Amino acid sequence: MMGIDRRKFLKQAGAMALGLMATPGQAASRNEDRILIVLEMSGGNDGLNTVIPFRQDPYYRARPTLGIAPNAVIPLSDEFGLHPNLLGWERLFKQGQLAIVHGCGYPNPNRSHFEAMKFWHTGVPNAPETYGWIGKLADAADPSGKRGLVMNLAAEQSQAVASANHPPVVFSDPAAYRQEQASEQALVFDQVMRRTTRAANPSLDFVRRVTQTAAESSDFVRKACASYQTRSDYGYGPLSVSLKNIAALINADAPARFYYTNFAGFDTHVSQGPMQAGLFNQIGDSVLALMTDVRQMGRGQDVVMVIFSEFGRRVNENKSLGTDHGVAGPMFVFGEPVQGGFYGKHPSLTDLDQGDLIHTTDFRQVYSTLIEEWMGVRHPEDILYERYESLGFV
Amino acid sequence: MRHAPARCATLFSLLISFPAWATDPLASLAEGDWSSAHAKHLLERAGFGGTPEEVDQLAAMGLAGAVAHLVNYERIENNLPTFEHSGIWDDSMHPDVDLHMRFDDVMKKAAKTGEVYSRTIRTDGPRPLQDITDALYYKYLSSNREWQRVGVWWAERMLNTPRPLEEKMTLFWHGHFATEELKNDDYRIMLKQNETMRSLATTNLRKLLIALSQDPAMLLYLDNRLNVRGHPNENYAREILELFSLGVGNYTEQDIKEAARAFTGWRNEGPRFIDDKSLHDDGEKTIFGQTGPWSGTDVVDLILTQPACAQFIATKLYRFFVSDEPADEVITALAQTLRDHDYELKPLLTALFSSSHFYASENRASKIKSPVHFLVSTYRKLDLARIPGTPYFPTATRLLGQNLGNPPNVKGWDGGRAWLNPSTILTRNNLINHMLFPETAEGLYPRFALSARLRNAPAEAKARDLASQSGSNLMEFSADDMGDNAMGGMNMMGTTAPSAKAHNAKADYDLKLGLYRGMIKSFERVRPIPPTPAPLDLLAVVRKVGATTPESVVSYFEARFLSTPLHPEDKTAIVLFLAEAVAEEIPLEDNEAGDIERALRLSLHLILSTPEYQLG
Repeated sequence: MMGIDRRKFLKQAGAMALGLMATPGQAASRNEDRILIVLEMSGGNDGLNTVIPFRQDPYYRARPTLGIAPNAVIPLSDEFGLHPNLLGWERLFKQGQLAIVHGCGYPNPNRSHFEAMKFWHTGVPNAPETYGWIGKLADAADPSGKRGLVMNLAAEQSQAVASANHPPVVFSDPAAYRQEQASEQALVFDQVMRRTTRAANPSLDFVRRVTQTAAESSDFVRKACASYQTRSDYGYGPLSVSLKNIAALINADAPARFYYTNFAGFDTHVSQGPMQAGLFNQIGDSVLALMTDVRQMGRGQDVVMVIFSEFGRRVNENKSLGTDHGVAGPMFVFGEPVQGGFYGKHPSLTDLDQGDLIHTTDFRQVYSTLIEEWMGVRHPEDILYERYESLGFV
Repeated sequence: MRHAPARCATLFSLLISFPAWATDPLASLAEGDWSSAHAKHLLERAGFGGTPEEVDQLAAMGLAGAVAHLVNYERIENNLPTFEHSGIWDDSMHPDVDLHMRFDDVMKKAAKTGEVYSRTIRTDGPRPLQDITDALYYKYLSSNREWQRVGVWWAERMLNTPRPLEEKMTLFWHGHFATEELKNDDYRIMLKQNETMRSLATTNLRKLLIALSQDPAMLLYLDNRLNVRGHPNENYAREILELFSLGVGNYTEQDIKEAARAFTGWRNEGPRFIDDKSLHDDGEKTIFGQTGPWSGTDVVDLILTQPACAQFIATKLYRFFVSDEPADEVITALAQTLRDHDYELKPLLTALFSSSHFYASENRASKIKSPVHFLVSTYRKLDLARIPGTPYFPTATRLLGQNLGNPPNVKGWDGGRAWLNPSTILTRNNLINHMLFPETAEGLYPRFALSARLRNAPAEAKARDLASQSGSNLMEFSADDMGDNAMGGMNMMGTTAPSAKAHNAKADYDLKLGLYRGMIKSFERVRPIPPTPAPLDLLAVVRKVGATTPESVVSYFEARFLSTPLHPEDKTAIVLFLAEAVAEEIPLEDNEAGDIERALRLSLHLILSTPEYQLG
């Protein structure tokens, strides 16, 4: 913890020394330009084969078949290394643009996908909660209810972006995010859906606002994504498409400050090796591509991305060459504004709870740090209902 | 006067507690003010809307008659069909199987004891645990699919019932006592719960609280099977106090702990409730300051002594039937009505539906229709007899955020503004399009049939089973293959990298093979929901009412479908649109009606896509 506090102190001291004289290249971005991208690895990513404790015998004992050999690991420090397919992340780590937070979880963990995911979505584990942490954060960051502030690139809206005042823009295929209509209906639809007339009925007012957002954003999203050209290589796959679309929207100066997307397939009960390798190929390359892309468009200082999964997996591998649902796992925070390095303490591989890692960092510390120190929203406890110590990675 | 005897006590207490000039917050609407507009509002809120003919019938009954007709529905004969089971349940299914959690634990234990879920594991051949793996997947997939059929069956009840309040209140209780089929994986107990809620829908809160506390789906959902003497599990005790009866702030953590002990021993075996005395903690408990050897039933009775209970239920009913903005004095009066009648629900419902507050202008067309209401009321207003197969109802409601039987959590649906975002608005409009023009939905909805790829795959599966070296891509199921991507979690399991070969030879079981076999069997057993389009004939509708000009047609649709008028400019634009398509006069006798029918449908699509149509 000393190391983190010291790093945070140095960062703050540095920022104070620079004051308002920051040069354009390193300019700390203005709060209102800042963007947060959240990527969900759905299904429960095996953290132990992502950030590998390659000096620890218990790891290899628990993973006789699935363990990744020390010489295959991409070493990041004396103790930890990345899965061999996360070459893109290695590059970002070495550039100081990747913070890895060990052992993230919460008390009384739930091992059901549905339940655990809800807790990460709302930021309020083990309690029913209506709105998502991103939805609540958007409401706090922008009380005016600006349209299009939150974009959720997915087939269905995530609870993470459920918000009282910011109806999220939700789409997976930009071409399909549209009002279906016959060509002769187009003019009338345009008039009916873009009506801004204030109504005496507050519910009608609300529906008109959402409808208008739909009409405006569907055109914007379709055109921005269809016309986007980039030299960044996002690779091939659904995540590549989503991240490229996010870049397209940032490039088109979309009003969004929050992007939320997910990447499924991490529920590796069976044949984990090749499955995770394939997923990591895509996530490693496409995250690097996105970070490179936003830098090239001059927005590198404005973008931070966080990656999480609803739980990690059991320490011992199972008998189908996979791993079963577990508890704690690492989180990843990317971006130029990020202070790269390791944060928190890696969970013990021998002191386990029912065969699972015991979390060492509450994931809400990561949320809280992003809420307050990245998005500049003062009272994270209004969103998370409790105060959490900052990790100081941004 | 109003329904006098039932509310005497309330009226009396109001007379002494309010100054003489204060008005009764539940003062009745005058019979003389009752109109068909009021009847339309009542039918929309207390039911799922209806055709102009149904509205007229209700209007003709007068206020008291209409309210009594809706509330005292038992006297109306109801011949709706019971659910027709596909017959998926077989000996391989065990009610306590929980696929989501600790699958490997189940298997480990099975390997040790030689049996799993009371069945002996075979010891010969490869993958000794494959049979049970297949059975687990079959149960999960077939129950989920069969539950979708239950959802359509229920929606069809909402559509055809002569007792609309019965189904509306069943939907209310489903959102109140929320449970999820995707956690329980047993459609039978979910169906049983639905029937319990319907039979008690407007009876008595005490009966409901006891019935739901002993309801197998609830016991399973909130883990009361783990709540046993010496090891209390607080899940159910917490939720009954926080979400089902009192609300946060009206009980202590200690009350939860003690109430949990009182509920020990209540569990289920499949669809059967068991009061297991051997697991019950019969010691003294102190709940709300009252000490005794309380049972679960006693907890309900203690809850009912708390003033917060009636207030909490009245608030939820008010939000459901009247407005998202609670009017405190009305809610307090409703709560008082509930208490005055020993928690009988009908006096509250009668007072509410008779009150002038219920019909006040700020409470009309003020609620955003829930997805189920949006679809069912559209179909009712079109006078359909069946829920159309296109758009496919389970997918449509899930996309709109109200998957029947699967509320997002134990708190139920939040409702109100949470129903709408830009995506669900576009989806609502597009679903209307798919209903009016089914050909535009080609390929959009999954069917209860195997995809061609999987239909041709058994040979491949067999090859995989016998010689695992062959490798196979057939296990990379897509959402479409799965019939519906509600099975997102399962779909994740199905993704595999091409190089996943060889591994399975040594395994005790193969999850993907189990998934495949479970899926094939579920497709074989669960009856399909046919993609039948809605049988619409809009031309016949406008002919019947003699609407011959574009203006009269649009006005007729507006009155028939909307609760609040179109914006005049939008209405003009739609009239002009129709005029351009069919000329000034609609040729009612024209037998070559294709073009006219199309123009009418395009116009209706526009009308039902206006912001006004989201309100009821």
